[in-house]
Amino acid sequence: MPIEVKNLTHVYMADTPFESRALNEVSLRIEDGEFVGIIGHTGSGKSTLISHLNALEKSAPGMVWVNGVDLGEKDVDLAKVRRTVGLVFQYPEYQLFEETVAKDIAFGPHNLKLPEEEVQRRVRNAMQQVGLDAKYAERSPFELSGGQKRRVAIAGVLAMEPSILILDEPAAGLDPVGRRDMLDLIASIHDRGVTVVMVSHSMDDVGQLCDRLFVLNHGTIAFSGRPEEVFVHGDELREIGLDVPECTKLADLLRKKGFDMPEGVYRMEDVRNAILEQLGKGGERTC
Amino acid sequence: MSEPIICARDVCFQYDDADHPAVDHVTLDVMKGEFLAILGRNGSGKSTFAKLLNALLLATSGTIEVDGLRATNEEDCFAVREVCGMVFQNPDNQIVATIVEEDCAFGLENLGVEPAEIRRRVDETLRAVGMEKYAETSPSMLSGGQKQRVAVAGVLAMKPKVIVFDESTAMLDPVGRRDVMNLARKLNREEGITIVWITHFMDEAVLADRVVVMDAGKIALQGTPREVFIRTKEIRALGLDVPGMMQLSAELRAAGLAGLSATTMTVEEMAEELCRLKSRI
Repeated sequence: MPIEVKNLTHVYMADTPFESRALNEVSLRIEDGEFVGIIGHTGSGKSTLISHLNALEKSAPGMVWVNGVDLGEKDVDLAKVRRTVGLVFQYPEYQLFEETVAKDIAFGPHNLKLPEEEVQRRVRNAMQQVGLDAKYAERSPFELSGGQKRRVAIAGVLAMEPSILILDEPAAGLDPVGRRDMLDLIASIHDRGVTVVMVSHSMDDVGQLCDRLFVLNHGTIAFSGRPEEVFVHGDELREIGLDVPECTKLADLLRKKGFDMPEGVYRMEDVRNAILEQLGKGGERTC
Repeated sequence: MSEPIICARDVCFQYDDADHPAVDHVTLDVMKGEFLAILGRNGSGKSTFAKLLNALLLATSGTIEVDGLRATNEEDCFAVREVCGMVFQNPDNQIVATIVEEDCAFGLENLGVEPAEIRRRVDETLRAVGMEKYAETSPSMLSGGQKQRVAVAGVLAMKPKVIVFDESTAMLDPVGRRDVMNLARKLNREEGITIVWITHFMDEAVLADRVVVMDAGKIALQGTPREVFIRTKEIRALGLDVPGMMQLSAELRAAGLAGLSATTMTVEEMAEELCRLKSRI
């Protein structure tokens, strides 16, 4: 069942001189199994929005539903909501605290009071899902590299077996290979049927992975749709502190110079093929 | 760009609990007025090297001179930090005061600079980073890019000759990234400040005068961005990427556009090249 947000408004420090409206009448719907990207400049309301999706921030009733449960209701089972919706914060490796990788990942399942065998099964499973070899189980998480630590943190969330996974800038600060590995990992989690919501500052990353994008600007949804529908708005995106993928930029520039390029194109291979077509090399393509 | 401002000779550094050095016999000159980018995968030693440059860490062996001062001597370390400022990844870790202009004045106050002079320099540097309108704002009300500009202002007020940016754009949104990069380039061009720019973004590295790639604490590759990125195989083996446009250029050439340059690095260059090819059809 989906995530539904209706007319959600969030005001920080209400009735003070610092009052600020982080979200203003935001409505959106995310279907089961979708891979959705949320993009927006710093302070656009992305983090506030995702905090509402697992009830870290609570709204009034009638604004946020997950699997049909109104998260604003007084008697909502918060523990259950947070099992269903896993939230991976920015730089989650700073949350690691246990002596060993296995203990750190087991922290959540233990709190669920699951039988020990079940906890161990989940730990093994989560490590496998994030591509951490079993030999790391007894190591200290603090001996691992940055990318590996982040995998441990994500495994800790996966061990709760959420059906929805929300990630805030999961690739920030990683080197190019670490970044690609991380994005592959998230794609593989999505392939297993988990609904994924990814917050990102990288237009290339969201273009590559997401079925649909929501663009936030000053607490409202400025654009939404498939990547090609969003990336058509290059100038407007730049005005609100964002951008389009690099190859979209090239296509836009070439169009201005008289090339016939498809609007909103955002995949490198599509841009390449359009260029080859324009320069009469379309027929010689080897791939 | 004739004489070096940073001379690192055979520099090694090993953390107390480590079994191998983080920086391993690095020799490098950074020229006056140069914009040098340092790349390398996570753990390659680039941030450690950066901290050696302004004596936040002291080298285990070897020497580093910054503008004639020994960054490897404890006695010189305060003087070195005045010459060589540093901007970190997370501006929240660097901003200390509750008002932008006070933050900017912090370093100067510690040096005992005259109040009138502090006022003048703070105003000047906030103007230089485009944050003069926010002088009396709390840093907590600013966006990431704005905070990073305040952090740069705090460093700039000390009138450094070198500024080291250690992944200072990693946490920023696209416009914040562009603003901070443009600010660094402006300070480099207009004020002649030498910039050492550590990053994971290849599109930032292509704008540098020279690129140094570190791996396992050593310098693995160096040269102009074109010289470095053309070595695609080595770049990939070092855990990095080639710039997107260079990759596209390789694919287009493989598909028959032989006239395309192999060292096309920016969107603008690529568009120009393709227009040139189109006009010949």
